[in-house]
Amino acid sequence: MTAKTPEQITNDLLRPLSGISAPYALWAALLAGMAVAALYAFFYQVYTGLGVSGLRSPVFWGFYITNFVFWIGLSHAGTLISAILRLSNATWRRPVTRCAEVITVFALSIGATFPIIHLGRPWLAFFLFPYPSERGIWPNIRSPLLWDFFAINTYLISSVTFLLLPMVPDLALVRDRSTGWKQKIYRAVALGWTGTPRQWHRLETAMHIMAIAVIPVAVSVHSIVSWDFAMAPVPMWHSTIFAPYFVAGAIFSGIAALILAMALLRKFLHLEEYLLPIHFENLGKLLLVMSLLWFYFVFAERLTTWYGNEPSEMAVFWVTQHGSYAPLFWAMVFCNFLIPFPILAIKKLRTITGTAIASFTVVIGMWLERFLIIVPSLSHKYLPYRWGTYRPTWVEITITAGTFCSMVLLYMIFSKIVPIISVWELKAGMHEEPHALRLAAQPDRVEAD
Amino acid sequence: MAHQWGMVIDLDRCNGCEACVVACHAENNISTVGEEQAALSRAKHWIRVERYYEGEFPDVRVKFMPVLCQQCDAAPCEAVCPTYASYHTTEGLNGQVYNRCIGTRYCANACPYVVRYFNFFNPVWDKPLHLQLNPDVSIREVGVMEKCTFCVQRIKAREIQAAAEKRELRDGEIQPACVQSCPTRAMVFGDLSDAESEVSRLARSSRATKLLGELGTRPKVNYLPQDTWHDSENA
Amino acid sequence: MPITSAIYGLFPDASSAERAMSSLDHSGISPKRIVVMSSEPFDEYSFSKMDEATPMPWLAVIGGIVGGTCGFLLARLTQEAYPQPLITGGMPILAAWPTGIVTYELTMLCAVLATVVTLLISTKLPNWKPELYDPEVSNGKILIGVLEPSNAALAEIENRLLDAGAEQVKLTGRALAG
Repeated sequence: MTAKTPEQITNDLLRPLSGISAPYALWAALLAGMAVAALYAFFYQVYTGLGVSGLRSPVFWGFYITNFVFWIGLSHAGTLISAILRLSNATWRRPVTRCAEVITVFALSIGATFPIIHLGRPWLAFFLFPYPSERGIWPNIRSPLLWDFFAINTYLISSVTFLLLPMVPDLALVRDRSTGWKQKIYRAVALGWTGTPRQWHRLETAMHIMAIAVIPVAVSVHSIVSWDFAMAPVPMWHSTIFAPYFVAGAIFSGIAALILAMALLRKFLHLEEYLLPIHFENLGKLLLVMSLLWFYFVFAERLTTWYGNEPSEMAVFWVTQHGSYAPLFWAMVFCNFLIPFPILAIKKLRTITGTAIASFTVVIGMWLERFLIIVPSLSHKYLPYRWGTYRPTWVEITITAGTFCSMVLLYMIFSKIVPIISVWELKAGMHEEPHALRLAAQPDRVEAD
Repeated sequence: MAHQWGMVIDLDRCNGCEACVVACHAENNISTVGEEQAALSRAKHWIRVERYYEGEFPDVRVKFMPVLCQQCDAAPCEAVCPTYASYHTTEGLNGQVYNRCIGTRYCANACPYVVRYFNFFNPVWDKPLHLQLNPDVSIREVGVMEKCTFCVQRIKAREIQAAAEKRELRDGEIQPACVQSCPTRAMVFGDLSDAESEVSRLARSSRATKLLGELGTRPKVNYLPQDTWHDSENA
Repeated sequence: MPITSAIYGLFPDASSAERAMSSLDHSGISPKRIVVMSSEPFDEYSFSKMDEATPMPWLAVIGGIVGGTCGFLLARLTQEAYPQPLITGGMPILAAWPTGIVTYELTMLCAVLATVVTLLISTKLPNWKPELYDPEVSNGKILIGVLEPSNAALAEIENRLLDAGAEQVKLTGRALAG
């Protein structure tokens, strides 16, 4: 990266906001179409009954809860990474933080719809909210689902503010450069930001406090999601390792999603001079650490299960490793460890393309992992007479595909209305840590795209 | 002391006729789900008779085991329901409040006995079978969990009758539909808090075991397994 | 309170803004009337060191304590609310661990909300009609100026700003006319 003036930075980072190209419109239309199909599938399910899904006795949770856990896990990318990088003053974080925070907000919003989608009577979902009704209905706080309710709402509100607050100066930037009806909208959302030292100090203090607050919240959210399983007496669910295992898995899938998003943004928004190989290199190293950590947790859990040799647990153990779920299980191990590990461990392979490939396989592998935690255990509970199977129907597959498409679509829309890289943070980094950016800009190898 | 309803099932007497299953359907307005849905394990048999085959031909033995909601005193299904739809009554029953159920199906996952059933569709009775519905039992709509209630409507009816007649309940006066219809009298129902009731007496038998008792659910259904001389384990 | 006049200079970089600030400090103008605006934070420069103290962290802690208390009371209330105590799973009516979880979540939520509210109130945002603003700030210029300058001081302030390196010096309101 040649030394850029603040003016050039502003121009570069605001360029994606102007105009919509034909390929963009086409992709947006396709993705929106899939999202609409998913919406149709959901309303069909509400109208006809959950029987249109593949759920059955004893596998009462399937694709929907897999998606729920997957998306909530993915949401740990943003806020956690952004908060940790801010607090540890990692100098290379500046172009990465908003990309990450956006992933969190959208993934969390999508994940939070699944508890509603999977309900038998979703029109009564408000029973979970503690309000004084004339029927005297109160929620039962012993239920992990209710802990989910509080935790996910807390995390959602925290993440949204964590995203929106540092966006205000950039919205002011766009406000000053736009005209007409667009300017009216940006003026409204920029809240009249002028950039006095008082405003900057308060904003940075607020960001610091929230970065400290959001880390324990994020850890608690996925621990609580894991306790949806660990609190039930189901073989291979009732394990104390679930909370740290899930949090590690969440951070793992989150970093992978972040790398993927950054690689795509870099390519489609022409941000080659801002999202540098060093960023992918550093995130790739983090992904490597998380891959090893994931492997460690899976190994520890399965070793303990195997050594304990409890018959009900061993039934689940063997059906996952050797039985009907074995293809999915070994695909998961490949995707989460065997493929990413060499790519991320060997410096020559840890390029932008390499880390993007590794991240893609990790995202698939982590989805499979959620599925394999839920379904094999439920299909092999304590009474063999009631062992069962599970197969999703078009309804579940459509809704799943629709949510993936919605995520990409939301991200695409966001990158068109707000600069995806935080302009003021990048500019501030140039004079606060100039030596770091010089180091970052040094090409230590030729980057083959 | 409040009644604590419990049951004893003598597996020596059970011959697998499944009259209990049919009677339960009739008494509790349980619809049949059809062949296709039954193949998807969605049949709603609040009490089911499990069949276990042992041995090779010609020494094959079949064991029958009626399994119904065990009305556990430490029920895993109760703690996980977010809306208190599943709760423990003062008479020791696991109550299912259909109006509070929003269908998260967490209780069904938590139940180790897999005795909870979900209405995947709205229940349907082909005419004229709708005329035989029991007016004492509500019909559950789509999206609601249901399970054996120990025929709580019969319990309540008898309790009200006894209170009106200003007398105590007699042992054996209350019979859930399954107990009533069993031709071999394999099932006994009564008050476990009454030490002299037949169910308490049988529960104290040296043969009495609990299904999955090691999980700590404290179920209230006691099984008297088949007589010892068949099994080498219970010497 | 809307201002009636102001004079300000637009500076191309931090060092000229620094010079302007020290020049204005020495001129005897009350610091309350000096205004600085920039499109990025310049925390390490002295012209940015005004208005630093804030009780925000303490307010966040207080918000957390309030939230925690509310969470605890909410959990207690919902568990004791039924006229006939509802036992679930053989657990006590007041279950300690779940109460702790709900208390914790509401603590964190209210700490975050307290931070946001403090931010909005102390920066007086949203304020869609700011006293003074120039869109040139978004082009990277640093605005340093004086609110309500006396007519006599106008020329002197203008000289100071230009000497420090202002690219432009602008006047608003009454100062324009006078």
